[in-house]
Amino acid sequence: MNTLPIASAELRDLYAKESARIQQEFSVRGEGSVALAQRTAVVESILVRLWSEIISANPTGPEGFALVATGGFGRGWLFPHSDIDLLFLHAGGGTEDAFKDSIRRFSQEVWDLRLKLSPATRTLAECERFDPNNVEFAISLLDCRYLAGDRDLFSRLHEKAVPRLVARECQNLIQNLGEITRSRQHKFGNTVFHLEPNVKDGPGGLRDYNVTYWLALISAMEKLSSWPDPRALLPVSSRRALDAALDFQMSTRCFLHFLHGRHDNTLTWEAQDEAAVRKIGVADIEIATAADWMRVYFGHARAVHRVSAQLLEEIPAAWSSVYRQFQSWRSRVSTADFSVVDGLIFVQKPDSLQDPEMLLRLFHFMAQQGLKLSTTTEYKIEQVLPALASTPPRGAELWLYLQETLSQPHAADALRAMNALRLLPLLLPELKGIEALVVRDFYHRYTVDEHSFLAIENLHRLRDSKTEWDRRFAELLGELEQPELLYLALLLHDSGKAAPGDNHVEASLQFTESCADRLDLDPADRDSLRFLVGGHLEMSAAMRRDVFDPANVKTFADKVGLPERLKMLCLLTYADIKAVNPEAMTAWKADNLWQLYIAAANYLNRSADERVHTDNNDSTLAHLRSLAPVAGKKINNFLEGLPQRYLRMHGVSDVLAHAEMAAQLSKDSVQLSLKQVRHWYELTLITTDRPFLFASVSGALAAWGMNIVKANAFSNGEGVVVDTFFFTDRFRTLELNIPEWERLKQSIAAVIAGKVDVARMLQDRLRSEKTTSTKVKIATQVEFDDACSPHSTLLQILTQDRPGLLYKMCSQISKQGCNIEIALIETEGQMAIDVLYLTANGAKLDTDRQDDLGRALRETLESKPS
Amino acid sequence: MTKVEAIIQVAKLEVVKGALHEIGVEGMTVFEARGHGQQKGHTEFYRGREYTVDLIPKVKLEIVLADDMVEKVVQAIVKAAQTGKIGDGKIFLSRIDDAIRIRNEERGGGAI
Repeated sequence: MNTLPIASAELRDLYAKESARIQQEFSVRGEGSVALAQRTAVVESILVRLWSEIISANPTGPEGFALVATGGFGRGWLFPHSDIDLLFLHAGGGTEDAFKDSIRRFSQEVWDLRLKLSPATRTLAECERFDPNNVEFAISLLDCRYLAGDRDLFSRLHEKAVPRLVARECQNLIQNLGEITRSRQHKFGNTVFHLEPNVKDGPGGLRDYNVTYWLALISAMEKLSSWPDPRALLPVSSRRALDAALDFQMSTRCFLHFLHGRHDNTLTWEAQDEAAVRKIGVADIEIATAADWMRVYFGHARAVHRVSAQLLEEIPAAWSSVYRQFQSWRSRVSTADFSVVDGLIFVQKPDSLQDPEMLLRLFHFMAQQGLKLSTTTEYKIEQVLPALASTPPRGAELWLYLQETLSQPHAADALRAMNALRLLPLLLPELKGIEALVVRDFYHRYTVDEHSFLAIENLHRLRDSKTEWDRRFAELLGELEQPELLYLALLLHDSGKAAPGDNHVEASLQFTESCADRLDLDPADRDSLRFLVGGHLEMSAAMRRDVFDPANVKTFADKVGLPERLKMLCLLTYADIKAVNPEAMTAWKADNLWQLYIAAANYLNRSADERVHTDNNDSTLAHLRSLAPVAGKKINNFLEGLPQRYLRMHGVSDVLAHAEMAAQLSKDSVQLSLKQVRHWYELTLITTDRPFLFASVSGALAAWGMNIVKANAFSNGEGVVVDTFFFTDRFRTLELNIPEWERLKQSIAAVIAGKVDVARMLQDRLRSEKTTSTKVKIATQVEFDDACSPHSTLLQILTQDRPGLLYKMCSQISKQGCNIEIALIETEGQMAIDVLYLTANGAKLDTDRQDDLGRALRETLESKPS
Repeated sequence: MTKVEAIIQVAKLEVVKGALHEIGVEGMTVFEARGHGQQKGHTEFYRGREYTVDLIPKVKLEIVLADDMVEKVVQAIVKAAQTGKIGDGKIFLSRIDDAIRIRNEERGGGAI
């Protein structure tokens, strides 16, 4: 052993001088790969010098002992503050003991130079042994490189031991590498799109590039049992993109180390500003702002993440039998258009993707099945996009596919893929501005586009709710009539964040209008979408006030107006907050959100009888009059005294149609209209009020086998009623027999006129039906509230839904001498939720009448069907 | 040095923050909190189910100050958070021995 004094000071000076030179050169040229190679060479020369002074004067000696660079140092990637991975390799013939003190001294000298050393000491046999608790060491050997000592010993490691280890343990290596990678990516929310990303460990960072390389290397070594040509390892289709990404990321990480003066790989906002000014990694691209520079970063990171994710999916498939079985099961979802192989989607006829419809169906399939696209498929999509750009699909056809896709459980992944391939901004240019957009605030963790996708994902994840809070919101989601509008609103809610100015909501609304035109949304859907995007911060704002304060609840609920919109806004708020960062939706916030929701829902049900007064200068009325100036008086007469809720529930075209029907009452005293709306039918009745009216129509519909899922009844100051029934056609009577539409209307008119006995009709129907068992037992609750309306007594009934229920209930109410002023009928699953505003002799119900009616209703609703 | 812990109504957070900024207090820590003193809980019925909230949502502010600022801060909080009704909250004061700024290890009054 050599005990000559080491020229520590000289080496320290050399290292400091060389480090300063490398930094200076980097600040001028900005080439990360050059700086890395230079630092690697400097450190290597120092280590070889120490080896010759401490271990052996002969650089290729002593026999049976060698110094090996591993990991990043082995690859020649020594970033300015990276650790130096070293292996002291022994042949196993006693050199371990002989050089123990020398190794300690060697390491001490390295640390004294302020180099961060990560040393390992192993025999050749130990290197070949797989240790499941230290997979990282086996992986680090994939980059092993000779530095000094016994060259033959190193050759045995490199040429024999490592290839044998990899060939024997390839399954374990890949499985463990996959687990480590997935766990690391999970810590970063599995997304590239962080506002302050980590360029080494974050998804799409340098570690993912390494993983991609290692997976390909292990896979190739398993086949060859030797080292493959490293230039031919990575997929040809992505090689250029990966090379460019590597170059950029090396420069970026190098820049960060120099900037922070330590091993810190976080691209902070300050670092982003500086990187943009210095055009780090982008010498030949026009960069105006930090956001522009970050878009370049995300582009590279996305390319790396895409290939690493693809290899992580593809390579393990080759070995695991469970995995094979799972993939074989998944391959059964193949269709005539798409085949699924190893969890990846291929298109049966790639040229068919030139048809935009096929392209949209492909992403719908992806959203439905939760599968990834194969590289071949992605490549084909990229090829057809330029042609599609000249005439992208739009209108109802695009909306049809988009809504189907948005409603599928893996919609967010499909949207991410569409975005990555630049298809999404091509279909909806309104989203172009938020692509990979960094908007700096202390709460958001992700870019604006990823935040929007994550919000959609949060809603779909509610299906697998684990907490009590999530289950409550999941129930609401299940009750929505048009969840697709909510998903579209989430996609657009922050679209205005790219626009200049502080009010992104205004800008988002403009993009929403443009998007609604593009998708040719009908007026009612457009209204809902506008409401959700324009009001997406309203519930959060109300939560910042006292959620138990009636004035706060009233102000908020009045802005919302309708229970269905309240549900959508509540879910939008939930998803939006949760997508800010993983910790943003605390139990505290979830509780407050729920409390505000139920308080507002109750308020809406209890304030439905505020009346319309046409002499008020109301904006809705003004709008109506402007649309139909000639019919102004007719509209005024019809609307005067109707509840405000009526105007909130019905769009302008409905109101105009109803006013026209009301004007026809002098010719025909029963005005009926029947139409199919989405998945149900809508029957509107306009006539003068009379006893048993609501009950009779409910009974007639039930007798026809229709299932009433929702109904509203309103009346105006002149006693004209507007009743709307929404029902499903259980026996497809209307769907299969067009003439039956007219017969149904005639039958209802006959019932209203008293020409037909509805009780008998219904009895016949119920007798012919088998009683179905109830899945959930709902106990009947009957409650009266005298406080919430100045004119009426509110009756709320919760009970088990069943055929003919509404008829039974409303008949009983009429029998007790009560008049239904307003009815708000809802069905959720097997629960009927009915809110009725009742009067008797034009006044609220007195206590005796409430008791009698309550008793009669309980008896009726709790009795078994006869 | 003194630590001021103020438990206030959620709705008053922005006003209190504004009042503190006005007298030159920039740094504070805000916690989501629940609790009740004399204020009773709240019960709401929805779809036949009863939702009772025994612990009312509040926010808690923590500020560590030089002693000569304490009274000014207390007054600012009281003035901004007071409605005169039950549930306005509480302020607690306690002594602090030392403070350390992690970034540069500065200690004492200069670190707050």
